[in-house]
Amino acid sequence: MEVVPAKTPRDTTTVQPTEEIAPQPESTQKIGDYWPRYRQQASVITVVMQLVVGAVVSMALSAGGVPFESPLFWITLLATFLVSVVLNLYMVHLLLTPLRDMVNVLKNTKGEKLTEALANPNTPRYQRDGFKPVLQSIYNIAAEQQKSPDPATNDPLAPSLKAALHQTQMGVVIMDAHGTITYANDAAPVSESTTGGKKLDLIFEQDDAFTQWLATSGETAVHAQHTWLRVSNRIVGDESRRIFNVTANYEKGSSAEVVLTCFDSTDIYLPEDNELDFIAFAAHELRGPITVIRGYLDVLDMELEDVFAPDQKELMKRLIVSANRLTGYINNILNTSKFDRRHLVLHLSEESLDSIYGIISDDMALRASSQNRLLAVDIPAALPTVAADRSSLSEVISNLIDNAIKYSNEGGAIAVSAREKDGFVEVSITDHGIGMPANVVGNLFHKFYRSHRSRETVAGTGIGLYICKAIVESHGGKIGVTSTEGEGSIFSFTVPIYATVADKLQANDHTNAGLITSGEGWIKNHAKFTG
Amino acid sequence: MPIKTILVIEDDRFIGEMYVRSLRHAEYTVDWVVDGHDGYVAATSKPYDLILLDIMLPEMRGPDILKAIRGSGGDKIPNTHVIVLTNFDQDTESRIAMQHDVDAYLIKAEITPRKLLEIIARLDATPLTA
Repeated sequence: MEVVPAKTPRDTTTVQPTEEIAPQPESTQKIGDYWPRYRQQASVITVVMQLVVGAVVSMALSAGGVPFESPLFWITLLATFLVSVVLNLYMVHLLLTPLRDMVNVLKNTKGEKLTEALANPNTPRYQRDGFKPVLQSIYNIAAEQQKSPDPATNDPLAPSLKAALHQTQMGVVIMDAHGTITYANDAAPVSESTTGGKKLDLIFEQDDAFTQWLATSGETAVHAQHTWLRVSNRIVGDESRRIFNVTANYEKGSSAEVVLTCFDSTDIYLPEDNELDFIAFAAHELRGPITVIRGYLDVLDMELEDVFAPDQKELMKRLIVSANRLTGYINNILNTSKFDRRHLVLHLSEESLDSIYGIISDDMALRASSQNRLLAVDIPAALPTVAADRSSLSEVISNLIDNAIKYSNEGGAIAVSAREKDGFVEVSITDHGIGMPANVVGNLFHKFYRSHRSRETVAGTGIGLYICKAIVESHGGKIGVTSTEGEGSIFSFTVPIYATVADKLQANDHTNAGLITSGEGWIKNHAKFTG
Repeated sequence: MPIKTILVIEDDRFIGEMYVRSLRHAEYTVDWVVDGHDGYVAATSKPYDLILLDIMLPEMRGPDILKAIRGSGGDKIPNTHVIVLTNFDQDTESRIAMQHDVDAYLIKAEITPRKLLEIIARLDATPLTA
């Protein structure tokens, strides 16, 4: 495509050449001054040269015997002079035309007034003699230069925008379609990457949440927007930790294709996290007394079995169930704290779900019966073995059953079932309790999330489902829920069948590192903090 | 060889008494020491079938006892089962290192005496791996 820049409307008459090119004082000359003067000089020189030619011809004639007075002498001299002046001037004109055209392009680029039209590089002559690509390149270079005009002179808003981006506490990041950062302001959570570019310093709950969103948007959307709440730049415990609400905008083909705005909400979120941190610290201390309470209850239960009256046995049962639940809550807090610090490493081995449930079956049966729920468990022993961390996965099931008990009514039935599904074993916990509206479901697995209704009616910390999700996803599985208000909920999670991941596990010393596929996974981070 | 004699190395009096009481109730012969150094001496001077080992101990910590018994100097008690019982949240590396040398690594708060008896019975049924 041929680019012919239009005459610019600008009326800047003084050209300020850059220092490297022309540091001399006469550098204030205009390009336009050069051409007429040069053409004039060339013409004068040509005429003078023809005078010299005439003198030589007259000398040659008189030497050849043609007398001064002879009309032949004058006719020959005059004819030679005229013909050579005309021909030479024409030749000079032809030779100088490309130079003129080049000077005109430069004049136009510098904003000087043109007295004639810009030359067309596609004229037959230029095509023939090969000057076309030369002139075309000059046009292209000129066009490039005009594309990037100084924004300060063009857009009066630009300087204040720049200052605003610099001053604001909101992080703004601009990326291209591949997720490469092209701009980030001072408040943006970015850091230098090892390759010299910039990288986003955000830890999403699911590590590749943003990358995936970007990939999906790039493939399917023209315009897309998404918001993530409570995204931090550092793990818990780091001094420079900030917590953001992050909104991403995607606009296909825009010069700012992806815009991330990071609203710093550390003030709101950090106190909750610090509180949990303190509780985790305290929870550890609680383990001692709980060991004693549970242990002695167990001893008494064994030794006094024959002594207790039936109602006393029931009281004993309630004591045991409560002590066990307390242990579960403490584990939730400790695991959440570990997960947030990226210290939670699971050791996956070949396990049967049947035997994992065996760890908690007595406890669950006792818990359900003491609260008058009918617990039905159907986990076929013939299911394929799974890759699991026994105690963590049993905590997931116990949390889900605990929820089912909490959010159902006296006498309600709770069913635990398991089945094989596409390389995974899926475990479902079904209750016929109060259920929940759709708008609650989306936030359910967020940390500290509790619906307004359950805040008022049911005790809880809002970390049970959060840690369930963390544990299940660390196994390489998924957790989800379907619920109908007034009818009940079904919580389901999957864990990979051992045979499908055995190779990966062996390659990673049986930790879950190989199951978490994203590059900047938290397992990788974990290595930094325990190593 | 069935498990009959058990050494409990545990400095917390309540917890120690709890294990000792339920183990004796189940007719095991139990010795109980409350500091790490005494624990090491007892473990190496008398052949026990099973040692219950705490981690946070006065005089000598659990991992050090384990190193002294089963470290580079070879296994001094190849015929003894070892169960680590702790409430201490160790970092992962140290835990894995300990797990390598013992038969079980259990969190006290999650193990009631009855469960401990079940686990010992299971150990009894499986041959020594050490």
